[in-house]
Amino acid sequence: MSDAHGQAIPEHALQRLAGLRREGHPGGIFTSDFSVNEFLLVRKAGFEPVGLCVGSCIYHLGFQFAGWSANQEMDVLSTAMYEARALAMERMRLEAAQMGADGIVGVRLTVKRLEWDAKILEFVAIGTGVVHAKGHQGFKGPNEQPFTSALTGQDFWTLLAAGYRPLEMVMGSCVYHVARRGPLATLGSVGQNVELTNFSLALYEAREIAMERMQTEAAQAGAEGVVGADLHEGSHNWSPHVIEFFAIGTAVLPIEGHEADDIPDPKLVLSVNS
Amino acid sequence: MGLFSRASTTPRQRAEHAARAAAWEEALARQVLPPFVVDRLQAAAIGKQPWVATMTPAELLLAKSHGVKPIATVSGTCWFHYGWSWTEGHEEGWHHALNRIRREATACGANAIVDVRMRTLRHSFGPSMDFTLIGTAIRVEGLKPSPDPVVATVPALEFVRLLEMGIVPTGIAVGARYDWLGGGLGYNGWGSSNAWGGRQTQWQSSVFAGNQPLTELGTFWEGIRRQAHAALRANAATMGNGVLAHTHFGEILKQERDKQPPAYLGRHIVVGTVVDTPRGAGVPHGVEPVIDMRDGPSPLQRSGEVRHAVYDTDTSEQEGSI
Repeated sequence: MSDAHGQAIPEHALQRLAGLRREGHPGGIFTSDFSVNEFLLVRKAGFEPVGLCVGSCIYHLGFQFAGWSANQEMDVLSTAMYEARALAMERMRLEAAQMGADGIVGVRLTVKRLEWDAKILEFVAIGTGVVHAKGHQGFKGPNEQPFTSALTGQDFWTLLAAGYRPLEMVMGSCVYHVARRGPLATLGSVGQNVELTNFSLALYEAREIAMERMQTEAAQAGAEGVVGADLHEGSHNWSPHVIEFFAIGTAVLPIEGHEADDIPDPKLVLSVNS
Repeated sequence: MGLFSRASTTPRQRAEHAARAAAWEEALARQVLPPFVVDRLQAAAIGKQPWVATMTPAELLLAKSHGVKPIATVSGTCWFHYGWSWTEGHEEGWHHALNRIRREATACGANAIVDVRMRTLRHSFGPSMDFTLIGTAIRVEGLKPSPDPVVATVPALEFVRLLEMGIVPTGIAVGARYDWLGGGLGYNGWGSSNAWGGRQTQWQSSVFAGNQPLTELGTFWEGIRRQAHAALRANAATMGNGVLAHTHFGEILKQERDKQPPAYLGRHIVVGTVVDTPRGAGVPHGVEPVIDMRDGPSPLQRSGEVRHAVYDTDTSEQEGSI
């Protein structure tokens, strides 16, 4: 059977429409939070979704004292923020491995505050587990674990087209206490335009530490690079002088045998409606 | 933690921390980079460490097909206190940040920094804030490392497109200007030499005044804008021959005074990407008109996220952000 343009409707779709496959799929159904376009592009990339993978971690942050006028890393908090995220991600990955997924795409990592306790944060990692449609095993992440990627389905297709495959979401966290300025220093700069070097270097150091940690993690995963890297600054119910710098990105590895010439030149288009 | 494969963070020793802080302090004073930052950047440049790019996969794709290689994420920060003048402080703060991001890019042997974004922390202490630039340092195949890498606020995707068309984004230009109408604190500017000193504005906006343009205030404000643009032009002239100004921010503040007409403080800041391009250069690509049949907002028309959110007052930190 074919439609007006001569394109055939696949046999299995016709059977499904005719109600012939009411017995369902032997392989079970898949769940995902893909949009239609994302789904199509993940398929185009040669993958099939298997199921939503979730990992979460409710974490109690320890206490750390910071001197009034000290620039210092709050390493108790840094460790907490990192460990809690890593646990959430690890649990998500475990779920994916149990489903037999090759990897997880579109991972969203969020932090939630809980109303009743400022020291408790909930970390959630959620994404869609996918499996290579033809059973290709070369897409697994480090240690034969499923890969994790923060990229959307669209970006996943584009990444593969660019000749890279995702390995692992890598991150680095640094919670930093920015020193308060003493009353004398404050008085000294009234009516002046000056750089507050102490603050500048606090930001530098904090960002540097977060960056270093992310890069180390990428190196450990055996990546060639990190794509979509971003730095987030956040303050999770802390005093205004305590800031978290959080670096996150997707570590990638080149696909063997892929040449730059394989990449098609994109077209420029202009939408002419409106 | 043996629960997962990731190596957990090793807390730094106090002594190491102090040593790093001292290194930063010295580096900022001597206008260089601390040795450990140089090491990290150079390791990324020669492939000993993974490269880090803020690029999306689409950008990576185009970068690869055009011989552009990402090296590292680089940044420049300056926390500036503008007790004397908000406007001049902002101008100076951005210039410091620019010099510093260039320093990092030079250290990793880059030809350019793309995707440079202007950022600031949401909280500021008193009349001060941090001026931060973050971007990706890149190298173009076949080119030697540049002594002075260009700073492009456009993403890698547009950077490559612009290069193809003979347009080189070369830097960021800032033009800022402020002035008082009617005395103020006796600061600089031609506002103080204005014979009316805000009195005309007071008459023109009194209860008995009819429909009329506020000529004095209007001229005053127009002057500030023009001078900010002139400053932008002068700043850009050192880098290229055109500016694509993406950020405009201006405000007039009113200050009530005792037994005198109110004073006005006007300030305006313009920031833009400087480009260098021959006049009348052609565009080699055809543009294909398409009709999007979607009813809702078209992804083709979506203007994308706010790239330089510094002067957006309505951005707020939302719950759920990582």
